[in-house]
Amino acid sequence: MTTKPRATVLLCSSTGCLASGSAGVREAMSAELQRRKLEDEVQMVIGGCRGFCTMGPVMDIYPGGIFYVRVQPADVSEIVEETLIKGRVVERLCYKDPVTGETIPIFEKIPFYAKQERLILRNCGRINPNRIEEYIAFGGYEALAHALLAMTPEEIIRDVKASGLRGRGGAGFPTGRKWEATRMAEGDIKYVVVNGDEGDPGAFMDRSIMEADPHSVLEGLTIGAYAVGAHQGYIYVRDEYPLAVRNLQIAIDQAREYGLLGENILDSGFDFDVQIMRGAGAFVCGESSALMQSLEGKVGEPRPKHIHATERGLWDRPTCLNNVKTWATIPHIINNGPEWFRRMGTEGSPGTMVFSLVGKVNNTGLVEVPMGISLHDLIYDIGGGIPKGKKFKAVQTGGPSGGCLPAELLHLPVDFDRLTEAGSMMGSGGMIVMDEDTCMVDVARYFLDFLKEESCGKCVACREGIKRMLEILTKITEGQGTMADIERLETLAWTVQQASLCQLGKTAPNPVLSTLRYFHDEYVAHVVDKKCPGGVCRALITYSIDPEKCTGCMVCARKCPQTAISGERRQPHVINPELCIRCGVCRDLCRFDAVVVE
Amino acid sequence: MSDTNFEPRIVGFLCNWCTYAAADTAGVSRMQQPPNVDIIRVMCSGRIDPVFVLKAFAEGADGVIVSGCHPPGDCHYTNGNFKTFRRMPLLEALLVQYGIEKERFHWGWISGAEAAKWAQLVRDFTEQVRALGPLNWKRELESKED
Amino acid sequence: MITFTIDGQTVQTEEGKTVLEVARREGIPIPTLCYHPAVEPYGACRMCTVEVELHGRTRLETSCTIPAQEGMIVRTNTPDVYKVRQTLMGLFLSRCPNVPLIQELAAQYGVTEPPYPTDTPDEKCILCGLCVRVCQNVVKAKALNFSERGITRRVGPPFLEKTRDCIGCGACTIVCPTGAIEIVMEKLAVYKEKPLGPTSAIYVPSLQAVPRVPVIDTDVCIRFRQNDRTNGRIADACGVCQMMCEANAINFDQEDEIIELEVGAIIVATGFHMWDPTQLSQYAYGQSPNIITGLEFERLSNAGGPTGGEILLADGRKPESVAIIHCVGSRDHNAHPYCSRICCMYALKQAHLVRDKTGAEVYEFYMDMRAFGKAYEEFYERIQEEGVFMIRGKGAKVEVLPDGKLRVKGENANLGVMVSVDVDMVILATAIEAQPDADRIASLFGLGRTEDGFFAEAHPKLRPVETNTEGIFLAGACQGPRDVPDTVAHTGAAVSMALALLDKGEVTISPAIAWVNEELCSACKTCIALCPYRAISFIEEDNVARVNEALCKGCGTCVAACPAGAITGRHFTDEQILAQIEGLFRLPVEQLEGVGS
Repeated sequence: MTTKPRATVLLCSSTGCLASGSAGVREAMSAELQRRKLEDEVQMVIGGCRGFCTMGPVMDIYPGGIFYVRVQPADVSEIVEETLIKGRVVERLCYKDPVTGETIPIFEKIPFYAKQERLILRNCGRINPNRIEEYIAFGGYEALAHALLAMTPEEIIRDVKASGLRGRGGAGFPTGRKWEATRMAEGDIKYVVVNGDEGDPGAFMDRSIMEADPHSVLEGLTIGAYAVGAHQGYIYVRDEYPLAVRNLQIAIDQAREYGLLGENILDSGFDFDVQIMRGAGAFVCGESSALMQSLEGKVGEPRPKHIHATERGLWDRPTCLNNVKTWATIPHIINNGPEWFRRMGTEGSPGTMVFSLVGKVNNTGLVEVPMGISLHDLIYDIGGGIPKGKKFKAVQTGGPSGGCLPAELLHLPVDFDRLTEAGSMMGSGGMIVMDEDTCMVDVARYFLDFLKEESCGKCVACREGIKRMLEILTKITEGQGTMADIERLETLAWTVQQASLCQLGKTAPNPVLSTLRYFHDEYVAHVVDKKCPGGVCRALITYSIDPEKCTGCMVCARKCPQTAISGERRQPHVINPELCIRCGVCRDLCRFDAVVVE
Repeated sequence: MSDTNFEPRIVGFLCNWCTYAAADTAGVSRMQQPPNVDIIRVMCSGRIDPVFVLKAFAEGADGVIVSGCHPPGDCHYTNGNFKTFRRMPLLEALLVQYGIEKERFHWGWISGAEAAKWAQLVRDFTEQVRALGPLNWKRELESKED
Repeated sequence: MITFTIDGQTVQTEEGKTVLEVARREGIPIPTLCYHPAVEPYGACRMCTVEVELHGRTRLETSCTIPAQEGMIVRTNTPDVYKVRQTLMGLFLSRCPNVPLIQELAAQYGVTEPPYPTDTPDEKCILCGLCVRVCQNVVKAKALNFSERGITRRVGPPFLEKTRDCIGCGACTIVCPTGAIEIVMEKLAVYKEKPLGPTSAIYVPSLQAVPRVPVIDTDVCIRFRQNDRTNGRIADACGVCQMMCEANAINFDQEDEIIELEVGAIIVATGFHMWDPTQLSQYAYGQSPNIITGLEFERLSNAGGPTGGEILLADGRKPESVAIIHCVGSRDHNAHPYCSRICCMYALKQAHLVRDKTGAEVYEFYMDMRAFGKAYEEFYERIQEEGVFMIRGKGAKVEVLPDGKLRVKGENANLGVMVSVDVDMVILATAIEAQPDADRIASLFGLGRTEDGFFAEAHPKLRPVETNTEGIFLAGACQGPRDVPDTVAHTGAAVSMALALLDKGEVTISPAIAWVNEELCSACKTCIALCPYRAISFIEEDNVARVNEALCKGCGTCVAACPAGAITGRHFTDEQILAQIEGLFRLPVEQLEGVGS
């Protein structure tokens, strides 16, 4: 007897929640439901990532939309007993607003979500990504059907152009123009490519979409292929996303079964198929020309930009390469029309954008908002502000090659052009919030270190330039810097920006240039005063104990790895500066905020 | 039975282009050899009908030599020596059946440049046949006719 | 045609040319490190950066990659451009502080000291990628490529292991701007600095060659070797000679043409081969560039040779002492037992040339002086009078001393002592021998060979130019060692005999051929297959075998084989042979005193 289940438990099993143990929760839930003989009444659905990974493992319970966070296997029996059987909410497992302290059991009511405009993320977390039926049930593949059967390629391109959609991979190139150029290019064989390399550290928007809603990408890609005249597509997924690869492959196989991919799609006469290709651990392969080299099996090295991929791309054939988020946006534009899309966002940057809001902010995770929202609203309204009552210092937008913007610019609307003007960039949507305990010089050094490892090494400017900039910054953070070093740093940064071959090199100096521009006094402090205002650079800071605040509880003294703290019980403790290695353990442990760093 | 004054009579069938030329050179070069071999020249070792060899023994030869150009490539007529190569083993077997010792019949290849080899063959073969003694095959045959 | 401005100058070019190519054409200097006209531009060094203004936007671009476009305004030396190049040179100099090319270029931009810490003072490679591009795309040996990423990027073969894919062509060393690549000889082989033979795969055989056009040695040429290596799959490796030839005179597709000629006579004049003295290690040939063969000395002494006719050692000095050793490989049971005939006289000539051109002391180690020809003995006396030291005794050993001098040890048989002399140069009068393919040629023409390996004449005394095959004659050293006057005489004789043959207009054939008695023929067809000349055919209508008299050479094989005895060898009949046998035994043998045993 097949009865319709009366309740659904949606468990996220994407990378983030898996890492925090959702597999164990799933097993426990399954076992518990069996034990209680509730398998027919309660269905368990594997959901995808909605981008709230710090709260994982997360679980939704329908009907009601009850949202539990940080669920552990031990909590499962209580959830089944209280919520599934008795219909009550287990308060301790609910989300607590970090600012107000309010317990919010219903998912839609959480301000972090309520204030978002989740367009391309709408299915993430809501459906089982391994079941095409669920995607279709929520309106999936309607756009494809309409495009293939009721529109011509020229009409599609016209709509995409009219929508003003700009590439969500970072460059922000008008997507419609790119499609048009590909369509107009000479040649019978053309390709479409999905850039799923997502190399920015801390960025996981593309991962979330590929894992949780793979069909949205496939649908957009197929529409695009039809528009530009391609019959073969490639999805390039970075090697570090095995779950995304798996879910995409399942999606491809299921779409083929349904006739939504392959020969004669939906009886339209249009053939199109897709192959997944994996990267091999190179950030530079997120650059489109390097990606195409990698796809061809060659070393991932970029080509000069004046060779347009739309004319000579993969295997020298016209290729249209777009980011995961760009492709995922297409079905919505087809379904709702370009004017609808234009109504969101700004004049120059219509539509929504997915940011990964991370760092020193209360609510971290994926945020999809209309373009044009101010940095302030993003960080404070949606992000919930800076935790522990610390002051905001800077926000880095656009990934490791993005610039750091200070508090004075919080009013800036988030859109392609405004961010670039300010010396940063939209990039792939990374947004790292920093508080007063951050050293901006160290931040620049940190990102240069990343970029040094990822430079492909082809051109001197990037390869040697980044190395030398890093050398100078390291010198400065170690207290060996001079004003002449800062001058040299500026010249180097400018040269690398001007002379590099590809965008990796050209944007690599951004962290340096933007911190030099907005936080110049910090550099001077490091070089002249030999001090680190952020309290980070170990060579330049000292740890001491405020005798007024110290209660002599001896916790720090016991935990100090160098036994540098001495003091009697109930007496103010003292740190021996000779032994202190500035590891920060005492500061983290002190319940009385008595450790002073300067 | 060895006769200390026995001088073997040996007939040699030599091909004109190779072994005959070698014998000629050996002579011209004054290479020392016993006079026991009488040479009959044929144009090619392939010309040698086994009958000739039998006739020689029948007429009184104690030993017979057949020699031509080295196979595979030296034959002046390209492959005459191939036919010789085929015939000689059969002939050898036939001779044995007739009661003629194998050691009385030598067949081989000596090229025009190998004068020394010819001289050595003459020396060695003469001694070999001498050690065997006279054949007297004619007398044998005649005695059997009776 | 595209029109644009560069440094204020209006220039025109066809589409597809880069700004750098046009600048080079116009003589406008733009520095480059990773550019080479023979390979695709790469854009690694960034030094060719120029300012480009187009459609209202001004940017810095690398001139080697950016194609010239209509209306472009290019400025090759603005303050920004200078600053970029200066900073880049600072980076280069800090990476490779001791490379002269980098030092010079950096100095041009005011950078004399490395501005950054130099942790790689011995680094020569600037990662320009020229070697990679040449190896991958021109030579197509694909033995070199980049590996690793970022600052650990390096150039080398796969896994930085020696690879047999490297064909040692040296193209990478030629394009490398900093000399970071070397070609290393694997074995202790002598690297002749003044090569006495061709220096490249395409070469003009000699200045006196007629016609004086280059030839390609397909055993050495990279393109043809690649064809062999890949079973012809790679068809267009290298080909630089064709690229550079302005007359478009090089055609790699030339095939050997097989020409069939019907001729009445053939003269084989395939010459001799120099024996390789490495086969007798006591002469140390190959261990020093100053031990040369007689033929190599001829090249050295030739006005069209590598030194313009001067007698020089490998390092360019004039020798002060030279030893000439006779009979190297001749009259030697470990090599060739025969005398090579020509060496004594040319050794005397070479001694004279050395004395004349350099004044060096000359020591001739000889066994016998074979001065057999007209005015030869007189020449020998003259050379003795010129002060050449004649040492009668075989030069037994040549030793290479640590300082490069050569110690020759031998016997002075006249005095009965061992002698030893240290000289700068040793000339080995090496044996001459039959060509290495003599056996193939012999098979082809049905020639015999004498024990020394040379082709066999019909008779050593009386018929020196004829062979056993009618119509095929021998001329020159292919029949045996001989010098120029003797070769001329020999060849004259061969030619005369050939002419006589042709002149007659008719050929006399031997009457000693086979004939089939058609009444006896039993049509067994045994003889048909036996004939090497296919001179016997089976005539169906008459049901008999019949001999073609023109083809039959009279070997007699068919005569011996015919089971019916139907074939007669004319003038060589069975009856005649049997009669000979009978005849032999008719006569009694006379025992002569002292004869036999």
